[in-house]
Amino acid sequence: MARLKNECSSSTVKRKVWSWSEGFPSQTFLGRCKFFSLTETPEDYTIIVDEDGFKELPESEYLSVAEATWLALNVVSGGGNATSSQPIGVTKIAKSVIAPLADHNISVFMLSTYQTDFILVRERDLPMVMHTLSSEFTLLRVVNGEAVAANSTGVTNGFVKPKLVPRPIIHPLSSPSNMFCVTSLDPDTLPSVATLLMDVMFYSGGAKETGGQSEDSGHIRFFSFSLIEGYISLVMDEQTTRRFPNNVLFTSASGELWKMVRIGGQPLGFDECGIVAQISEPLATADIPAYYISTFKFDHALVPEENIQSVIGALRTNESTGQ
Amino acid sequence: MSSGYKPDILWSPHHADRYVICDTELSLYRIGPAGSSETKAGALPLSEETAATLLAINSDTPYMKCVAWYPKQEPECLLAVGQANGRVVLTSLGQSHNSKCKELVGKEFVPKHARQCNTLAWNPVDSNWLAAGLDKHRADFSVLIWDISSKFSPEAVPAEKVRLSGDVDSGLVVTKPLYELGQNDACLSLCWLPRDHQKLLLAGMHRNLAIFDLRNTSQKTFVNTKAIQGVTVDPHFQDRVASFFEGQVAIWDLRKFEKPVFTLTEQPKPLTKVAWCPTRMGLLATLTRDSNIIRLYDMQHTPMPFGDEVEPTIIERSVQPCSESIISSFAWHPSAQNRMVVVSPNRVMNDFTVFERISLAWSSTTALMWACGRHLYECTEDAGQGVAAAEKDIATKMRERAQSHYGHDTVQVWRNHVLAGGDDPQLRSLWYTLHYILHCSAAALQETIGPFKAYSVKVILECTTETRRCWSGSDRQTDVPWYHSEERSLALQLCGWISRGPDIDVEPFLKSLEQEGEWERAAAVALFNLDIRRAIQILNKGASAEKGDLNLNVVAMALSGYTDEKNSLWREMCSSLRLQLKKPYLCVMFAFLTSEPGAYDAVLYESRVAVRDRVAFACMFLNDAQLPRYIDKLANEMKEAGNLEGILLTGLTKDGVDLMESYVDQTGDVQTASFCMLKGSPGEVLKDPRVQCWIENYRNLLDAWRFWHKRAEFDIHRSKLDSSSKPLAQVFVSCNFCGKSISYSCSAMPHQGRGFSQYGVSGSPTKSKVTSCPGCRKPLPRCALCLMNMGTPVSSCPGTGKADEKADLTRDKKLAQFNNWFTWCHNCRHGGHAGHMLSWFRDHSECPVSACTCKCMQLDTTGNLVPSDSV
Repeated sequence: MARLKNECSSSTVKRKVWSWSEGFPSQTFLGRCKFFSLTETPEDYTIIVDEDGFKELPESEYLSVAEATWLALNVVSGGGNATSSQPIGVTKIAKSVIAPLADHNISVFMLSTYQTDFILVRERDLPMVMHTLSSEFTLLRVVNGEAVAANSTGVTNGFVKPKLVPRPIIHPLSSPSNMFCVTSLDPDTLPSVATLLMDVMFYSGGAKETGGQSEDSGHIRFFSFSLIEGYISLVMDEQTTRRFPNNVLFTSASGELWKMVRIGGQPLGFDECGIVAQISEPLATADIPAYYISTFKFDHALVPEENIQSVIGALRTNESTGQ
Repeated sequence: MSSGYKPDILWSPHHADRYVICDTELSLYRIGPAGSSETKAGALPLSEETAATLLAINSDTPYMKCVAWYPKQEPECLLAVGQANGRVVLTSLGQSHNSKCKELVGKEFVPKHARQCNTLAWNPVDSNWLAAGLDKHRADFSVLIWDISSKFSPEAVPAEKVRLSGDVDSGLVVTKPLYELGQNDACLSLCWLPRDHQKLLLAGMHRNLAIFDLRNTSQKTFVNTKAIQGVTVDPHFQDRVASFFEGQVAIWDLRKFEKPVFTLTEQPKPLTKVAWCPTRMGLLATLTRDSNIIRLYDMQHTPMPFGDEVEPTIIERSVQPCSESIISSFAWHPSAQNRMVVVSPNRVMNDFTVFERISLAWSSTTALMWACGRHLYECTEDAGQGVAAAEKDIATKMRERAQSHYGHDTVQVWRNHVLAGGDDPQLRSLWYTLHYILHCSAAALQETIGPFKAYSVKVILECTTETRRCWSGSDRQTDVPWYHSEERSLALQLCGWISRGPDIDVEPFLKSLEQEGEWERAAAVALFNLDIRRAIQILNKGASAEKGDLNLNVVAMALSGYTDEKNSLWREMCSSLRLQLKKPYLCVMFAFLTSEPGAYDAVLYESRVAVRDRVAFACMFLNDAQLPRYIDKLANEMKEAGNLEGILLTGLTKDGVDLMESYVDQTGDVQTASFCMLKGSPGEVLKDPRVQCWIENYRNLLDAWRFWHKRAEFDIHRSKLDSSSKPLAQVFVSCNFCGKSISYSCSAMPHQGRGFSQYGVSGSPTKSKVTSCPGCRKPLPRCALCLMNMGTPVSSCPGTGKADEKADLTRDKKLAQFNNWFTWCHNCRHGGHAGHMLSWFRDHSECPVSACTCKCMQLDTTGNLVPSDSV
């Protein structure tokens, strides 16, 4: 049994997805919002905040906001058997959550963190999501802090259950050369590294980084910071981690590093569905753990460095069968 | 280092005088008596008696999040510290470096993915096992169980990938846990179950509690709840677990793990610590953030398992260990009862003992017992001579009165006060009143007038209409108005002033008072009857009597100077000097003589004068408007005071029950209340639930004192007066064959047993038939001893010689009826004649039937008790 944690039923935490290219005001950084995520890509900054946080952001012409309110779903293993340790991350829920949602033409926005995976869906799609997932999960509703079984939402399935067709990969893929760390830190130590974080995120672009390495060698600027319900998650270039003092970042004992697969040649938009499924299903089949971070324009999957060749191989096969 | 850490406190599990305060560092303290030679100048006072000495400080482990003390005796003072990055470090405090400890100190246990360590718990049995609860990681487990004896295994991690910050080579880092549990969730709290040390109770962030069994980790018991912080097992009741969330504590029964058995009332601020008292059953202490009180929940008397339908009996109270200061944390002392040390955010410590509630119980005899903590105190009435002056306890009084047949004299009702000891004026008044009431009502019954038993002054006077101005004066001419009517004279009868009959003659009453030596009262009564000469005569008599008071002559002299001149010196002196008279009756005499007609308040409200005399006086001298007002007022006064003299006014009516209620409330004398109310009318008074309650309580008291014969006598007495209380036959002996009651043929007999005994001893022609069932004519069972069919009379007790029989003849006769009764053991169903059984079990404890090994006598709980009142 797994449980779908449904944020909206308890406190109606709604998220806005939007993009913003520059001039980030520092006062919103670590505002009072419970859900905050900032991802820097070469193209833009993607910010995900809850509605309270959104109110604190000033109007700006540089700000483009994705219309519609999104809800964050979070798969937690409830009573499920805890012995299987592999695969992890998006891979684990690829078959049970992502694929069914894709089958029902529900557009999703993924955000993996150090702690867990969030699947953002549009609020208006929620009844359909519930209906879709009810076949796979026990749905629980949180009422006054206690979980109770959710009633059927009464949505009749207007769609026939789609046939299981192979899902070809539509968008072009690229794999930058740099390696990434997925890490976290103790919230208590956050004030001491706040300046460093700001510097890394906003002020160290271009000159310093590019001074050593050129952009064209496949090196990509990518940094993600999220603070969700008190938990901090960081994704950064391996070189950037060296700027942090010792013992501040949570590292894994094995020191694992990740390589990125970037999805999309043109901005992907928010309506197309099935993109996450296209990537995650082959990975799940190959038992490869992965992170998946969607941004305003493109999607990013992180896979272990030693697996990158087999991942590219697996995805290429899918690409070719699709064409 | 940030100063946001609030100090927590941990007692050493084995050294009752050591504890550790942990905030940014670990500090070991020893607690000792204040001012003793051991304590140095640097000792911190914890309370008036105790002080703490700092023994050691350990600041080797930064980023401390949680600490757990090694549970075994050796090595002592070994602590596990959980850090912000998930590492668990073993450290020690104040230890000379003995070998065993040295090996372990400094050892680190590192999780695969770093995140905060929330909680630590040592396995209580397999003390090498240390469970650590960590925050969530998307691909890692939240509970790691480490074996502290395991060695560093270099093959677990490829050397080139190790990116740890240095100390890997020391060989003290362990990265491979023994068990991993709880994927994709955070563990906020955990504890080992003491009932089965292989089981672990986890509280996860995603609103669940789970019990894992390490022998089969794929199976778990699981429940959804929001109460997921701070799970802790009751050390005295190992199936009881408390967990909390924000301000709410949930109590769980692990045998019924679906939902909390109950939740405690929610507190406005979030809880920070919840701990069961290790020295006291079912006492839970809780602390909320920024609070200066510790709230205690006493669940000692809460039944477990606990039904849904009843409200739990939880006694809640709060203590404030250090007056104003906020408490950061507290810890129960491991062995001293109810003792705890609390610590404030600025590390001020306070030694504190929660005072135990005192419970108290009276025994049915006079003993009083109370318990406080583990001590039990008993207090009994001192039977020595020293307390002769002090009043005896009501229980003692009632016992004595029960033995003297108090209440049972139904002919001369007034005599009951003598049976009660004769020293209680209220009882005396009560029984005289009852005597007169019953007397009058009996007379009224003969003449078929007036309501039965409802007689009281109040009731009588309610129907007064007629007032006759009658003769006024004696030998002296006075103009005192004196009222008279039939009802008033009836009331005077109740007061005992006059006897029945048309004459208003107080002379017999005066004679009886003279006999009893109540000179003053007799004189007053004579005076109130306007016979001043008689009054003087009585006083003279009193003065000359044996042990007489010579002052009475002086009073008589003063009395003889009576004049009705308004402004005479006599009047003036009398009205002022009378107040100095000690004797109330003398006082009211002069008050009467100096009062204006109709204004007798000085007499009427002289509380030392008996109510009956005041009422009689009022009946003579108050007019129709004043009299009911006075009677009402006095009745209410009596009711409030619970003064039994007031029964004269109220009678045995509802008002009387009210009065008796306040009397019982004050004295607890249910005995008098029962006997008194039994005389009341069955319909109105006896049905009153209060009256029934007194009667039942009195019966229970008699039973508790083992006064079974007294209780039986009381029941008989009761059933005579209140036929509705007669118990119906509840037990019937039925025939084995037809199932009909064998008392069928003698249904006219009210009591079964008696019916049979009568057949038995009478020797009537029907005798032979009683040995068989009157319904189906089949024989009745045989007595196990004489082997005769039941119904056959007992010839002689087996085993007793003839000589004995003769000597015991009178006694036998008494018992003869009972000897023939049926009796049997409820367990083995063997039995026979009651007499035979009695004599058998005098010497045996086993059943008389040879093959039966039933210990019948021992099963009878009351069989071995001896009544404490002999027949």
